[in-house]
Amino acid sequence: MKQNTYKIASALLLCLMLIPFSTASEESSGMVLKIGTPNVVKSASILGDSNMGVFAHLSNPTLMKMAADGSLEGLTARSHEVSVDGKTWKFIIRDDLYWSDGEKLTSEDVKFTFDYLAENYPAAGWMKETVNDISTQDDAVIFKLNKPYSRLNLEFATYPILAKHIWESIEEPMEYTNEGEMLGFGPFYINSTDLGAGVIYFKRNPHWKGNVPNFDSVEIHTFANMDVLSLALEKGDVDAYYKYAGTYPYPSIRKLEDTGNFEFVEKDNIGLIFLGMNLKKEPMSDLSFRKALSYAINYSEMLKLDALGFGQVPNVGFVPLSMMNFKQTAQLEQNLSLAKSILDSAGYKDADGNGILEGKDGKDIRLTFLTRTDYQRVTELMVDYLKDLGIESEIKNVDSSTWIKQKDAGEYDLTITRSTPWGMLMHANWGTGYFDSRRTGEGVLHVLEDPEFHKLCDDILAATSQSQLQDYAYQVQDYYGENLPGIALYWNKVVTPYNKAFSGWYSDPLYGIFNVDNFLSVEKSR
Amino acid sequence: MLLGKKATRYAIALFLIVSLNFFIPRSMPGDPLTNLLGEDIMLTASSVQELRERMGLDRPLSQQFLDYWHDILRFDLGYSFHLHRNVSDLIYDRMKWTLLLSLPAMVMGAILGTLLGARAGWKSSALRRTQTGFIMAIYCAPPYFLSLIALYLLSYKLCLFPLKGFYSTGSALDIAHHLFLPSAMMALFSLSRNYMIMKGSVLQEKGSLYATFARAKGLYDEQILFRHVFKNALLPIITLLALDFGFIFSGALFIEIVFSMNGMGSLIYDALLSRDYPVLQGSFLIITIMVVSANLLADLLYSYLDPRVRWQ
Repeated sequence: MKQNTYKIASALLLCLMLIPFSTASEESSGMVLKIGTPNVVKSASILGDSNMGVFAHLSNPTLMKMAADGSLEGLTARSHEVSVDGKTWKFIIRDDLYWSDGEKLTSEDVKFTFDYLAENYPAAGWMKETVNDISTQDDAVIFKLNKPYSRLNLEFATYPILAKHIWESIEEPMEYTNEGEMLGFGPFYINSTDLGAGVIYFKRNPHWKGNVPNFDSVEIHTFANMDVLSLALEKGDVDAYYKYAGTYPYPSIRKLEDTGNFEFVEKDNIGLIFLGMNLKKEPMSDLSFRKALSYAINYSEMLKLDALGFGQVPNVGFVPLSMMNFKQTAQLEQNLSLAKSILDSAGYKDADGNGILEGKDGKDIRLTFLTRTDYQRVTELMVDYLKDLGIESEIKNVDSSTWIKQKDAGEYDLTITRSTPWGMLMHANWGTGYFDSRRTGEGVLHVLEDPEFHKLCDDILAATSQSQLQDYAYQVQDYYGENLPGIALYWNKVVTPYNKAFSGWYSDPLYGIFNVDNFLSVEKSR
Repeated sequence: MLLGKKATRYAIALFLIVSLNFFIPRSMPGDPLTNLLGEDIMLTASSVQELRERMGLDRPLSQQFLDYWHDILRFDLGYSFHLHRNVSDLIYDRMKWTLLLSLPAMVMGAILGTLLGARAGWKSSALRRTQTGFIMAIYCAPPYFLSLIALYLLSYKLCLFPLKGFYSTGSALDIAHHLFLPSAMMALFSLSRNYMIMKGSVLQEKGSLYATFARAKGLYDEQILFRHVFKNALLPIITLLALDFGFIFSGALFIEIVFSMNGMGSLIYDALLSRDYPVLQGSFLIITIMVVSANLLADLLYSYLDPRVRWQ
């Protein structure tokens, strides 16, 4: 009896201690779709937190969207047209869109969004240099540019449209956080963001006039640990997996398959893993050396070991076949004897017989591989392939910030890195943003100073027709094939598992399953 | 007098460490702008310059250092451009959760570890040998691995606990439900370390003359252990507890990662990766104050428990 009293008293004491921590969090109600993701949201800022920005596309859709085949279609815009000189773009805004507070979305909101972002959002700073004027005409928004800019509609597939009546009073959009309700005009709006619980709660927009969603709410559950996220999927705590620019880990797919409860959306990734080279340093600046490197790599082995066969051996043209205007170029292959003979003809010989080739300065070639933990296995394979070629290399494994700093300072010879889907599309499209020396950014190498390549990029940006764009896209891929500024290591697939209890999943090349159309088509299976 | 001397010594240490806290994050490659916007965002040169100015990174290091001290003296820990909040608010938010997670674990680990360790060191038996073997296995196991195993068995297989977060609904019981397993895991690790040290310490003390004398006086075993030996064997544990208290926030990192908890450990870890200077400085400041005060407290406790220290 006395012991029981102690137990009850202890439990009560514990509850009392916890009361100050109690928070009014949401509870799931109605039909709920739960998505699990390793993209942890660190602050409830749709413009200041990149992960939150992706998730906010469901409440604040973009002006344009990318269709499954990579083409661009209107989302907030019903249609769009561009003048012959490529300097005037007109976007007609849909007239059936309403904010979750009942206000109608107007062309003024769209105009405000782009004026506001250009002025206050660093990632949209390019607009200040390109867009002269934004105006409205009934339900249309007109952008007048100071030069043709072929990718305006593509850029507009990434920025969320903001409510003028809310955001005009916010001076610093990147610093604006709101863990409560955020106005949206998509099929769902953000009802709350609970960072302690690691959940973003979306509710159905009561003023949505489009196809009726099959769920009352959507929840995004973030996990700091991938293993635990896999367990949550298997256990049924979440219904599907999502990772921006990433796939479900290949080694874990079999385990999900074995449960018999999961199916998978498989899409060719338009991003890829590639070998980057510091083209400003010898011997990487030598085309023959780069060609020899391309023949030294065992692509099939790399695909098998790093991607478990989920993908294919790439082409010299770098650009994955899932991208718009893909051109079929020669497939990369391993040919060690050819690689050696190329090096020999180019003057890289092992004159002192120590097993290591000498560069043109007569010294042994010893290269530094700057890499991050994510690419450790691929880097180790590369070091072996280089060794077979007679080239010594050492791995320098660093964290992301150090990688960016050392990469920008040119303190490396080789690196393994990746391009994201948006990364492949940024700048002049087709991966040009990773190489053009005139651009900077966290993930880009900016090592290619060739005027021919720069002109090609400028031509793409100034193109005024689809046929011109296609022609330039082919030229870029030919350029990659001939000059090898980067060597694709494999083209992989993005695998997204979902519980069989749900069907109707749709994935686009840019944001995977995180697109408005998907959340309108997914339904609970009968 | 003694307290005054100690306090001066600790104040100087505090000044030096807080100054170091400014330079340590800046000695790493990169700065807060390096990793701010995402890997596939390109910035124009003017945008980069604008951001550097806003973050104060364009000012000379000496000026930044003076500003840093100026802010600290006004209790202003700065602003995080990565997390879009004042650092003091951020730390307060995260600290309360980490304290709730770690403090009970530390206390339980300290009490159980010392008591069980003292008994195991005092008298050997088959049961205690098995107990020592079990605790040693925990002591040697990587915390990350063991936490994952516990999560797999208790949360996934037996569905006894949730898989992640500090809470789901936010009620007191819900929080307790979420915190039980991670706290228990932390307590287990703390217990195992304290157990091993206390056991060794008691083993050493029980051979001392005063213990033999107490036995000769006819005292019972329990009396010798808890009245005489325990106090002397406790000294190394006090040092460890002081350190534990200092690192109570950063020490929960693995647990926070496994259980997807947004606490101080993950705050510091993320700030390190993103070179978020204000968050690092603010967190280091809190850790510094805690370590220094815990050491001061340990010093005082030492002199209370051990007359030799007092005489010195």
